[in-house]
Parts: sequence; structure tokens; C-alpha cells
Amino acid sequence: MTQPFVAYFSGNPHQESNMNDIRRLYVFSASLAALLALSAVAHGQSPGRTMPDYDQLPDWSGVWQMTSNTVFDQATVEPPGGSSNTPGTREYPPYNDEWEAKYAANRELVRQGRFPDPITTCGTPTGFPRMMNLPGAYEFVLRPEGLWILTEDGPNIMRISTDGREHPGPNERWPTFSGESVGYWEDDTLVFETISLKGDGDTILDRTGLVLSEQARIVTRMRSIETDLIEARFTIEDSEALVEPWNVVKQYRRLEPGTRMFEFACAENNRNPVDASGRTLTLDAEGNVLDQQ
Amino acid sequence: MNPSKPSLRLAVSSLTAAATAAAAIVLASVSGPALAHHAASMFDRERTVELTGTVREFQWTNPHIWIQIQVANENGDMEEWSVEGGVPNRLFRAGWRPNSFEPGDEVTIRGFPMRDGGRAALFIGARLPDGSTLGLYE
Repeated sequence: MTQPFVAYFSGNPHQESNMNDIRRLYVFSASLAALLALSAVAHGQSPGRTMPDYDQLPDWSGVWQMTSNTVFDQATVEPPGGSSNTPGTREYPPYNDEWEAKYAANRELVRQGRFPDPITTCGTPTGFPRMMNLPGAYEFVLRPEGLWILTEDGPNIMRISTDGREHPGPNERWPTFSGESVGYWEDDTLVFETISLKGDGDTILDRTGLVLSEQARIVTRMRSIETDLIEARFTIEDSEALVEPWNVVKQYRRLEPGTRMFEFACAENNRNPVDASGRTLTLDAEGNVLDQQ
Repeated sequence: MNPSKPSLRLAVSSLTAAATAAAAIVLASVSGPALAHHAASMFDRERTVELTGTVREFQWTNPHIWIQIQVANENGDMEEWSVEGGVPNRLFRAGWRPNSFEPGDEVTIRGFPMRDGGRAALFIGARLPDGSTLGLYE
């Protein structure tokens, strides 16, 4: 979609006057390009990547929903078709031994009912990439300068810049739930890289106990593969947790025109607080604990 | 309707593996995955409880809906059960409305009971006063 900026000259090169004009125009253009490049660098932008026009963007309007259940890696899940809410379900990321052991410990906590979902406290976002693995609805708001991903299950808003900027410097960012994302258009595909993510302890990828470290770097490639179907391909690198890149594919289908997105105020009536041991409790309508053990 | 009318019954039964799988599929496809903001490990998906009683309150709230239902126990004493359902946002898209249950409604609700015997259940399906059903209830 994004083409390199090309300046076309016109005129007859055999005519001296035109040649002089062309030389002057060439020098002016080269100077202007250099000036713009310097300006872009000064503003943290990556020279050579330009914003698309509105009419070059695909139509991602409307409300969307993930096509699968909330197991993050559908390609490796066992048992096939397993649910992330069923103890014993697992996936096979290319973890090193240390993080495979960490995943095994998490699965045991899931089995015991003591693996708290970080979002159960109703105060934090699900974070990236889990926010692309939610059962609620999505909106993908495309603008030339970026993509905003709005998730109904939240709170979650992710902003991906496509205005040519680069990631902030090491001292200008810190680990967050959704990280820092910059990207660009490659024909019909939005390519973006996400870094500066919170890791193990703050976020999970699904309720089987999948986690990543703060070293995770994720390149996402999103495109329409049908009119009403978006595919997102994630390539996850994590020098602390993974021995090789982990590739995961998710899809999102557009819901019927007129489908509404709703507020998700998690703290409105949270009758499932987490106790000090990590167990999720169940309260009655008056706030008394119903758990008997 | 008279909320104290004792036309209530409580029954607990075991599900076959196939029935449990079918219930899980319906929960996922009809009303969306049942829970969003916490795991459901406190509920026993190998058993079901059927609660016939009178709705005291319907909480159409985030992060989950709750149905408070008065049910007679084995001794005939009235007890209140808390039935937890999905996220109202997704339930709305599956056909639920804020008045799907109203105080005084005589209903039968099927759910997965708590493992430890607490008086709560995870919603599977219900038969409403007009004979219609919500969720998985054939």
C-alpha cells in the first residue's frame, strides 16, 4: 500500500532551458527531501515510511469478534479444541526449560483453582497480546496515523502509531500492560512491533497459565483475508522465555451491521474477589462469602 | 406471583461426559464463554443442579449477571441461591434483556453447582414463566 515517494519530472531534456529548469528543480527537490528527512529524524520518525491516505486504508469499520475460544495458540492446544477454563488444557510455546517449568507450575495452580486471573481484581487491562484473545467485541479504528484497538472486555485501548515514528528511547518508556507499538503498511497488511510489555506476574495470555517476560517483542501482521474477516499473525520473540520465535494466528469476524459495543465496568458488581491465597471467592447478594471451604 | 409459594424443588444430578461437553459448547456458542473476568474453577462442571423457585432479584450488572432465587431445601425451608451468568454485553447480543428475569418470576434454572456445596451455581439454562427458555434448557 505504501509506495516510496517518487518525484516525476516533465519536459524535453534536449532543450537547454528545460535542462536548467530540471537541474534547479532537482537540486531544490533533493534539498527539500533532505530537510524533511532531518525534520522527521528530529521528531523521532523513521525516514522512508509515509502515512497512507484515508482512501488507501481497508474498511475495518463495524464491530468484530474473535472466531475461536480464548485458548491463545489454537494450533498447539491439547486436547484439540480445549477450553482455557478447563484444567488440563495446555499449549506448546517454544519455552526454554525454566519457563516450561513455570508454565507447569501455573497449570498446577489452575488445577487447584488457585491461579488468579490478573484481571479478576477489576483494576488492570488484560494487556497485549491477551487483549487480542478476548471473548467480547472489538472495534478496529483505522486512521492514517494509527490504529486504535478498542476491546469491549476491558479496560483496554491499544494505540498503534503508523505516522512514521519509531519506538521511544529506553529512558522514555517503561513496561506497561499494552506496551509501545509502532508500525507501517506493507501493501494491504498493517505490520507493527510491540515492546515494553509487563511480563510474568502482571499479565497472562490465557487462563491455562501462559506467560511471557518483559523481554517479549511481538511483531503483528494484520490484514483482511475476506471482506468480513481479519487475520492477525503474531511472531513472538522473548529472549528470556522462548528458544525460538513463537507464531500464533488469530481471526476476527465482523458482526452484523448495527451491532453495539457496551460498557464493561468490571468493578460495578464484582462478586468474585480474590483472597490472599489466590483463590477466587463467590459472594452472595449481601457480600457474604458463599465458599464453604 | 407469591414469592413464598413453596412450589420449589432442588435436584442434583451427574452429567455424562457427552452432556457436559454439549453444555460447554452451548455456553460458548449461545451466550458466549460464560465468564469473562475470572476463572470458573469453583463450579463443578461434572454435575448440574436444577433450581425451581421464585426470583427475588435479577442483577443485570458487570462483570457478570446474577439471579437471586428463593428455593426450598430438602426440609422445605426456603434458601436463597446465587446463580452467576455471563457478561451482560454478550448476553444482550445472544437475546437476553435487562428484564429477562423479574422479581416474582417462577422459574427453573439449571446450572453447575459449587464444588464445595456453597449455594451458588454457574448458569446453564432456564425455563421462564411463559414456557420459553434461555441458554441450554431443552
